[in-house]
Amino acid sequence: MGTQEQVEAEGGVATRHDDVWVTIVWNDPVNLMSYVTYVFQTYFELPHDVAEQRMREVHENGRSVLSSGPRERMEVDVQAMHGYGLWATFERDAR
Amino acid sequence: MRGFAERHGDAVAVLDDEERTVVARIVADVGLLLGGETFGLEQTLDVPEDLEDPFLYLRGLEESIREPSDPAILRLLPNAAPTDREVSDEFRRLTEGELRAGKVRRLRRVWEQLSAEGDEWVVPADEAMDAAAALTDVRLVLASRLGLLTDEDAERLHQEIELANDALEDEDPLPVDHERVWLGMLYQALSWLQETLVTFVVDREERDD
Repeated sequence: MGTQEQVEAEGGVATRHDDVWVTIVWNDPVNLMSYVTYVFQTYFELPHDVAEQRMREVHENGRSVLSSGPRERMEVDVQAMHGYGLWATFERDAR
Repeated sequence: MRGFAERHGDAVAVLDDEERTVVARIVADVGLLLGGETFGLEQTLDVPEDLEDPFLYLRGLEESIREPSDPAILRLLPNAAPTDREVSDEFRRLTEGELRAGKVRRLRRVWEQLSAEGDEWVVPADEAMDAAAALTDVRLVLASRLGLLTDEDAERLHQEIELANDALEDEDPLPVDHERVWLGMLYQALSWLQETLVTFVVDREERDD
């Protein structure tokens, strides 16, 4: 998708320390492990083993943080995940 | 039924008449559920495709879009910020029209592929992920109707279907609800088809690398 570099560039400029948001993907009994891994790999541009590790985190821990940055950017990521049928939410980073 | 396998670059599955009718029907039903027109009955308008309904995405801005009351639609279009109603509603207002339209478009495309002559379901490689995503949406709706909320629910359904299959073999009365078993078997068949389609996509990607 070619968005990752842009995210980081924007993140560097727009992100204040007190206003970082995160995109969370939640476990569901429907989505196939192979499908989720492939979506993570292609959309978030993760290497296969990292994508697979995130998928396992979702499956075993119930959730995983897939991206962080300005709210507008997280809205784009969450919308993309909903497009793929993954259950995603965004919230202000608690850390 | 034969799962997807590569042929001349396309993903090709084989479904007999009855299977194709059933799958095309559920695909069209989910399209309707998302607010699409009845597939196959659309009026053909003589306008370039990129000009088709330019106001589609703006519809949501006219009326305040509410959280869907049907749990199946809510799963397809979930609340993006469950702990913050205002943020969730704003997200829904800005994205729901586009998400619905995209999902309906993909479902319609799958329906067209299933409505082609012959017993093959041919998915061009560059549309394979769209078809896989459309299958996800159909499976999410079936799962919602089947009450599958957790991994344990899915496991239980699997066991119920095994019991039903055993009963059928022994010609015993079905120990579980007919409709549930039927929907459950459809759900499993679509899961398997989707798995073979994702395998096609992943294999292709690995070969290209």
